[in-house]
Formats: sequence, C-alpha cells, structure tokens
Amino acid sequence: MHLWQATAPFCLLVAAALPAAAASSWGFTDATVAVQPKGAGVNGGFKETLSVSKPLSKPVSLAGADTLRVTLTTQEGSSAKRPHQAFLLLKDSETGLDISYPFTVKENGKSRVELTQKELPIQFLSVSEPIDARVVIGSFGSSDAYDSSIFPLSIERHPDHPIPTFEAARYGKLPEINHVFKDAATSPPVIITLAFVALVGAALPVLAGLWLFLGANVSHLPTAFKSAPLPHAVFLGSLFAFEGIFFLYYTSWNLFQTLPAAAVVGAVAFVSGSRALGEVQGRRLAGLR
Amino acid sequence: MRWCLALLICAFVATVNALSSSGSRLLVVLDETTEKSTYSTLWSDLEARGYDLSFESPKSDKLSLFEHGERAYDHLLILPPKSKGLGPSLTPKHIVDFLNKDGNIVLALSGKSSTSSAVSSLLLEVDIHLANDRSAVVIDHFNYDTISAAEKHDVLLLQRSTPLRPDVKAFFDGEGVLALPRVAPQTLGSDSQLLAPILQAPATAYAYNPKEEIPSPDDIEATGSQLNIVSALQARNSARFTVLGSVEALEDKWFSASVKAPNGKKVPTVNREFARQLTGWTFKETGVVKVGKIEHHLATEGEVAAEDLNPKIYRIKNETVFRIEVSEYSFDKWVPFEVPAEDALQLEFTMLSPFHRLALQPISRTETSTVFGTQFVTPDQHGIFSFRVNYKRPFLTNIEEKHEVTVRHFAHDEYARSWAISGGWVWIAGLWAVIGGFLAFVIVWLYSAPTVNKVKKTQ
Repeated sequence: MHLWQATAPFCLLVAAALPAAAASSWGFTDATVAVQPKGAGVNGGFKETLSVSKPLSKPVSLAGADTLRVTLTTQEGSSAKRPHQAFLLLKDSETGLDISYPFTVKENGKSRVELTQKELPIQFLSVSEPIDARVVIGSFGSSDAYDSSIFPLSIERHPDHPIPTFEAARYGKLPEINHVFKDAATSPPVIITLAFVALVGAALPVLAGLWLFLGANVSHLPTAFKSAPLPHAVFLGSLFAFEGIFFLYYTSWNLFQTLPAAAVVGAVAFVSGSRALGEVQGRRLAGLR
Repeated sequence: MRWCLALLICAFVATVNALSSSGSRLLVVLDETTEKSTYSTLWSDLEARGYDLSFESPKSDKLSLFEHGERAYDHLLILPPKSKGLGPSLTPKHIVDFLNKDGNIVLALSGKSSTSSAVSSLLLEVDIHLANDRSAVVIDHFNYDTISAAEKHDVLLLQRSTPLRPDVKAFFDGEGVLALPRVAPQTLGSDSQLLAPILQAPATAYAYNPKEEIPSPDDIEATGSQLNIVSALQARNSARFTVLGSVEALEDKWFSASVKAPNGKKVPTVNREFARQLTGWTFKETGVVKVGKIEHHLATEGEVAAEDLNPKIYRIKNETVFRIEVSEYSFDKWVPFEVPAEDALQLEFTMLSPFHRLALQPISRTETSTVFGTQFVTPDQHGIFSFRVNYKRPFLTNIEEKHEVTVRHFAHDEYARSWAISGGWVWIAGLWAVIGGFLAFVIVWLYSAPTVNKVKKTQ
C-alpha cells in the first residue's frame, strides 16, 4: 500500500514525460498569444509564449478594440501536421457556456486565429471570472486528441460603456408579488384624545357650577309633582326615552326600528308636555316664577 | 359468474395498464418494410407499452394523417426516408396540422445521407435549424466509440444529460453511456420558449460534411453545446415534437451494443432505456400534468361548508384560501405532482396585472395528486379579479387556470364603529355633553324657583 502510494506520482511523471511511448498524440509547438491594441504595430502590445502542458498563470486581458491573436504549429507526435480539428475553445465554468473559434491551419501545421470582443457572444461580456481559453486539436485515426487549458482570458470592458444584455423569453417562475396595501387611517395618540375628552367632559360641571352660582335650583319640584305628578313624570321620562332611542340607534338599531319608537315617544311627549307646561304656566300666573 | 367478472376486470386492467395519457394509435413512417426488422426491439418495446403500431411507407397512397378532418393517429414516428422527400401526404403543412390537432411526433434524422428539404422546411416551421448543406455529421475526437468508429470518430458516446436548468424536471437522465452513430446536428432558434434541448453535443464536438476534406473555418457554423443531438418542441397546445439526430441509435444493434470510449472501459449502451424515455415523453407517458379540484373560500377555522366554497364575490381585504389539486402522469398511472426544487407553482390574483403572485405550497397529498394551497388577503382595490395559475415549464404540459371573482368594497355597515376609533372619542364626548346639558337645562327651566335675594338686589 505504502509502496504503491510512493511510486504512484513517479509513475504519473513517467507517463507524462513519455507521451510518445503510447499511441502518438496531438499537440502543438511555437505557440504565442498576443493582444494587439487598435492602431499599434504588429509587435505592439502584449505577447507571451504558450506551453503545451501548463496554462499561463496570469489572465490575458482583452480590452475594447484589441485583437487577440493565437498562433501555433500543430503536431502529431513530434512532427508538424495539419489536423482535422484545431479550435480555440472558450469556456465559462460558471455558466457552462462554450464556443469554439477554428484556427486557420496551413498544410505545414502553422495555425492562427484572431479574435475581437465583437466576435464574442454577449453572454461572455458580463462574466466576472476570467474565461478558460483552451486549445482543442484532434483528427481521425488513433492518435489521442489534445484538449487543454492554455490561458485564462479576462474581458476588459470600458466602465462607461453599458454591458449589452440578452434576455431570451423562457418559461420559468416569475418574481413573487405581494400587494402593497394603502396605509390604514391613523388616530392621534390616545393620551391626547383623552385630554380633549376630559376638556369636553369638564364643560358639564362648569355649566352646572355657573348655573348654581346664578342661583339655579329645583325647589319647585315637590310643588310641581304635587299638582300634576303624572304629566311631569311622563314628560321627563319621554325626554330621557328619546335620548335612549338615539343611543340605541347609534349602537344597534336601524332607522326602521328607530322611527316608530320615536313617533310613539314623541306623541307621549307632546300630550304629557302640554299638561306639564300648563302646570308651569299655572305657577307663573300664581306669581311663583 | 364470479370468475367471468374477474376475467372481465382482468382484461380491463390489462388494456388500461401501460398506456399513454393521450391515445395509443401510433403511425410509423418507414421507407421500406425491409427496414422494419432493424428496429424490431423498439417496435416490441412500444407494443409492450400498449401502442397499436401501424407501418406505412411515405409513398403509400393509403397514408393519411387525417380521417374525416380528425386525426387518424395519436402519435407519429417518422424515420428518415431514403428518397427525396416525405411524399404528398406528409408535407410540412400536414405535419404541422397534425401537431396543431394535439398529435405527437418523433422525427428521426440521420447523418448517413443528406436530409431532405421537406424535412428541413418542416423543422424551419418550428425554428429548428439544420446545417446549411443538410448533410453535416457531428464528430468528437474525445467521446467516440473506439470499437465501431476507431477511424471516423462519428459514433458519439454521451452521458444522458441532467437538465440544463436547476428548476426543470429531469425526464432523460440516468446512469450509463449512449451511443449515437452519425448524428445530424440541429441548432435551436433562441427566441422560442417552446423549444428545449434534450441532449447537447459535448464542448469539443463539431459538425462537418463528410464529403468534404477539411472544413475551412468559415464552414463551421456551430460547435460544442450549440449543436443539439436531440431537441424538443412543446407547442402551446402541449403537443410534442421531438427531433432525434441519430436514427441509428434506435436500431437493435445499438440497443445491445457494447462500446468503449478512448481510455475508457467497455460498457453496454443504454440506448434502449433512452428510447423509452424519449418516446415515453413525446407520446405523453411522462411530463403530463393535470389539474383536479380547485377550491377557494374565506379563511375560517375548521371545515368549510359546501355553500361557502368558491364564492362569486369577495370583499376587499378578505383573508382568502386557494387550493389546487395537481397530478402527474408517469408511464401508466397518475401520481402526486412534485414541483422541482428551484421552481414554484404560482398563483396570481389579477385584475389586468397581477396584484399578488404567490408560491403555492404542498398542503396534502392523495394517492394520485398533490393539493397545493396558499392564503392571502385580497387587495384593497375593488373590481373583477381572477385566480390564475399559469404553469408553463419546459417538458411539462401547460396548466392554465383562470377563475373569475368579484371583489367588492366595504358595505356601509362593515366599517369600524366610531367608538372603536380613538380619534373620534372627543366628538362623541361632545355629543353626550350637549345631550346631558340639554336634559339638565330642561329640568332647571321646569323646576327652578326665582332667587329672592337677587331679585331684591336688582330692584
């Protein structure tokens, strides 16, 4: 077990170092990636040599009007040869989106591909992480095809230019909507209301006190009830009953219950009131008022 | 007598068992009857699932998709013809008419020979595009069968794909390797929401015309996952149309073949299982959803009386309950429908535009259905509203339910009483102060005696 663990990396190393030992496989040599800003000469801008086995560690950045150029010579085993498929494959690991740009390959394996931002699908313009740029070389027959990451490509956008978006209609769930209700009617704080209620309620004692100060009294009550007890009792009762009817109308009764009751009490108040007021007139005529 | 009845029930169960939810008449359009034996396993599998297969040649005079203006078959399976077109009775118009009348179609293509222009123009009707010269084949130098296509690399070995979106139900996934010989690739128009890829080519794949030597960069139209091997269209009427790029994948030979990828092990193919998934979905054995009972009522404690169910009228700000029962067909029976993990069955309460759009949660489940429901407060806006469930998803038949109700405003006696509003207490107190003052005044006026001292003073 331990022995196997110790030798396994070694075996892998050997396997990697001897690609020609197996069936021949595709690869490339003399590979460079260059980014040429617009207007700069052929050798202006960024240029880096690419390796078959290891991708560049730093992302290659492609800005607005720059042209990305990858050149390489395809090889089968160690001899330059033209493959059937030689693609620069861009792959976004986040969305799984992939697109290939075929190399223009000459008979001697010399290949080149040029790429600008305009040729990229607009979905690539908005990705945050660098895109994985791979080279795919393959052909018919038994040789192993080559597919490996060669450099990360970061797309630089001018911060002022909006990123174009593409929204295709697709069936799916839609954002949730919750109706926003109008604000409910509000009342002032209860303490303020209660203060004003107390103020209004205080009007009654103030009125009573004023009347008492001016000499108001109920001294004639025994006299009045002695001379006409029934009219006075019924008249006062009907007045209180009226207010009671209003109270019931306010709390629970409807108009059809209120009107007949008010009619009955009104008639009683009219009849008893005229008697009671007759008694009051009698007192006035007697000089008591 | 009893066994007679039992036999009758048995026979009934047998005919009901394993049937598509939308009929069993399947027409297979085959070029020559000699070709029929190459696909015998597929035919026996379909027959075992309860289909009545009829075979016709595209050139046959008897062949007609319609009879007396109605569909003569429920499903259609078209294998690529060797001749130029599909004949006078299978023009693109007839096939689209068949689709419009709820017929389901599987159209198989082949990369062996170029596809006929009739098929190409049929596919254009549904925004599926073939390669310009109609004779492209998908090649992948990384995922090919080393046994049968060691040189030409045109037998693709692919895993069945999991859905591209996390909110879509998986109908075509599973373990194992599919062998797809000589695939005619399709690209899908991006504007249509009715189209969906079932199986895409791997990123390293590309298409080329085998008659040409080496494709020039300009000839390569689409690569990688833009190439579709199997794609599907579900029309607005939920009729299904599936395009299979490789008809050979349905052959007996590939149902039972063993394949070996480069640097891989020799494994048997799962083509037979995939054919079952593909025909099952297209012929509506899977992915069919059905709405059962729909109930809405005011939210109350306990049971709701029958007369209070589905009222015609609600008031604004009513607490309302909505319930919908949904079943899904799975090969031979209705099962409770389950919403995919990141998807939601949504209820809209709309008047012109939705005021509420709420996710319906599973509440309970019966043997054949799930009851979804939600509770919400009707908006503070009166008018004619409707409960809408508009559930359209790739690979599932459409649900479109609309139930209209009136939402009225408060009646005069439904507002809060004045004593319940604290701001009104001052006015109420004022009213009763006036009433009290009036009664006191009447008593004082009736019974007050003049004060002697004051009279004297004024005199």
